[in-house]
Amino acid sequence: GVAPLGPTPLQKDHQVQFQMMEAAYYHLPSPSDSERLRPYLQRQAIATPPHFPQTQLPHSDTIDFFQRLATETLFFVFYYMEGTKAQYLAAKALKKQSWRFHTKYMMWFQRHEEPKIINEEFEQGTYIYFDYEKWGQRKKEGFTFEYKYLEDKDLN
Amino acid sequence: DRAIHGPTSYIHSGMLQARSSGEIDEPPGFLERSEYLLKDWITIFHTHATRDPIKSFSNFVNKMNIYGILKGDEALTRFFRHATQMCIDVTYRNDPTINNTKIFKYIDPYVRLIALLVKHSGETSNSTTKLNLLNKILGIVIGILLKDQEVHKQNFQQLAYHRIFIMLFLELSSSDPVLENIMTNVLTAFCHAYHILRPSIAPGFCYSWLELISHRVFLQRILATAPQAKGWSMYSQLLVDLFKYLAPFLRNAELAKSVTLLYKGTLRVLLVLLHDFPEFLCDYHFGFCDVIPPNCIQMRNLILSAYPRNMRLPDPFTPNLKVDMLSDINTQPRIHSNYAAAIQPPNFKKDLDLYLKQRSPVTFLSEIRGHLQISNEPGSRYNVPLMNALVLYVGTQAINQIRAKNQNPTMTNIIHNAHMDILQNLAVDLDNEGRYLFLNAIANQLRYPNIHTHYFSCALLYLFDEANTEAIQEQITRVLLERLIVNRPHPWGLLITFIELIKNPSYKFWDHDFVHCAPEIEKLFESVARSCMVKTQQ
Repeated sequence: GVAPLGPTPLQKDHQVQFQMMEAAYYHLPSPSDSERLRPYLQRQAIATPPHFPQTQLPHSDTIDFFQRLATETLFFVFYYMEGTKAQYLAAKALKKQSWRFHTKYMMWFQRHEEPKIINEEFEQGTYIYFDYEKWGQRKKEGFTFEYKYLEDKDLN
Repeated sequence: DRAIHGPTSYIHSGMLQARSSGEIDEPPGFLERSEYLLKDWITIFHTHATRDPIKSFSNFVNKMNIYGILKGDEALTRFFRHATQMCIDVTYRNDPTINNTKIFKYIDPYVRLIALLVKHSGETSNSTTKLNLLNKILGIVIGILLKDQEVHKQNFQQLAYHRIFIMLFLELSSSDPVLENIMTNVLTAFCHAYHILRPSIAPGFCYSWLELISHRVFLQRILATAPQAKGWSMYSQLLVDLFKYLAPFLRNAELAKSVTLLYKGTLRVLLVLLHDFPEFLCDYHFGFCDVIPPNCIQMRNLILSAYPRNMRLPDPFTPNLKVDMLSDINTQPRIHSNYAAAIQPPNFKKDLDLYLKQRSPVTFLSEIRGHLQISNEPGSRYNVPLMNALVLYVGTQAINQIRAKNQNPTMTNIIHNAHMDILQNLAVDLDNEGRYLFLNAIANQLRYPNIHTHYFSCALLYLFDEANTEAIQEQITRVLLERLIVNRPHPWGLLITFIELIKNPSYKFWDHDFVHCAPEIEKLFESVARSCMVKTQQ
């Protein structure tokens, strides 16, 4: 049989262990127990039909993949998945598309045209920015982007 | 247990202090002050600690000072005990049907506070103070957990402890020069903690425990980043704890859902290790096989299938494969287990060495069985670790002797010596149960191409050839076959040995009755033979 040496009855302490384990089985750890808190997108495990995708696309954690995503998707990832690798990749993809992060307004800006003024401290001109409160892109004319607010960490 | 000195003593003193709650010398109002401070810190953490963490922390440390928490080791210990207990109480008060966010919002700041206090205690370069504090806190959490388990029994909740351990480990393994500096010692502290909380001691914590020891950051730190000798041996201890705990439940093969789940998790961890750290499984296979029950074929196969990543294994099904011509076949595998010392009692070891040297007295052979047998209880008659150690020791001594003559093991030079006397004697003299364990001990050495694999492959085939009863041959076949009919992976040396047995006509494998004892077994052999690409003789 499957127990070649024959069964041996469980000793007393093994029985106690088994009862404790049985009880623990009914409140198992969940994936979120080992993760940092997700303020917006919390895990909600539910059974989905098997013909739905059950796993993420392969290579969906690469910068190439993120560069193929729509800008709005990248903004969503940036604001709603804070402190994750996805946020890092989204920021990187946005930077590659010439978006720059303003650390005071906490918004992403992109030049709409060549700035009217560029000097050591700032540049001024018309910009497109993404307003996370109204959730959409806006245009701002005559905006002064002070370089001290420019997030210029090298994301390698 | 372990010697009580150094950082470990702080874990134990923390455990003791955590258990001695309800003491009378508690300063009046201390509990209230601790509670106020913890809640204050949680508010700070959720409001502005992210913006200016350094300033918030130093302000808070000032406050702790004013409240008398930092007035010596005792006050600080007392504070951690209260604070940990508060986190646990929150868990028990929480409605389990809603999610755990509320609990985590309570625990996470506390964990951050611990990490900051550890990081900033003492001078930057003074790692002793930091590690003593960490060990002390781990001890307090362990002490509270064990007491909680005693009090709540089946209602014990693992959640808060799980969260504290994992988050504290993640905090302390973030990239930071001060923390990197003490990382190996932090790992040691956590390994001690997890060893104290092993499933046989804290069964109500076993699922969380498995998650903690298989967490990707923990695995990465302990098996890839930490200095190998230290990290690997500590981690092997934790796996042994897991296997030992599972053993009595697995060996009866009546698996409750709770056991099945833990077993599946264990298989997954082994698969990850086999894929990412095969050398680790190679080096520690002996100790693992000692504690895995004999019927857990696949679990053991996972460990025995591991081979060094730079190695290319020739396909065992290659026709006319010349095993003794392989370049790797005469290399010594590393065994991180003191199997020679496991041969006890000392006078048995002394007699064994004498026999291996002189091939006398013959009476020694008849005494071996008495040493191996420990009870008359069917199913647990034998001392399995002693059997395993004896077999490996005899084999390695045989190899050494052949090597001393500038030769390598072959079918012809491994026979007619003291070593083979012992192996043959065990095959003949033991009863079915003993022989089964003996043959398993040999089969556990049939792994990737190395000198142990080669020696024991030859030895097993020789035992088959020289067997005086068909029962021995049947048992050898059984041990090999039962390791091959399970799902993959299959160890290379095992396949090589079995193919040789059924392919080489000198063993007259197909003439044996047990091959034809039942139609389904006969079919099974034929299908194995077909996959070995040999014409069956019918």
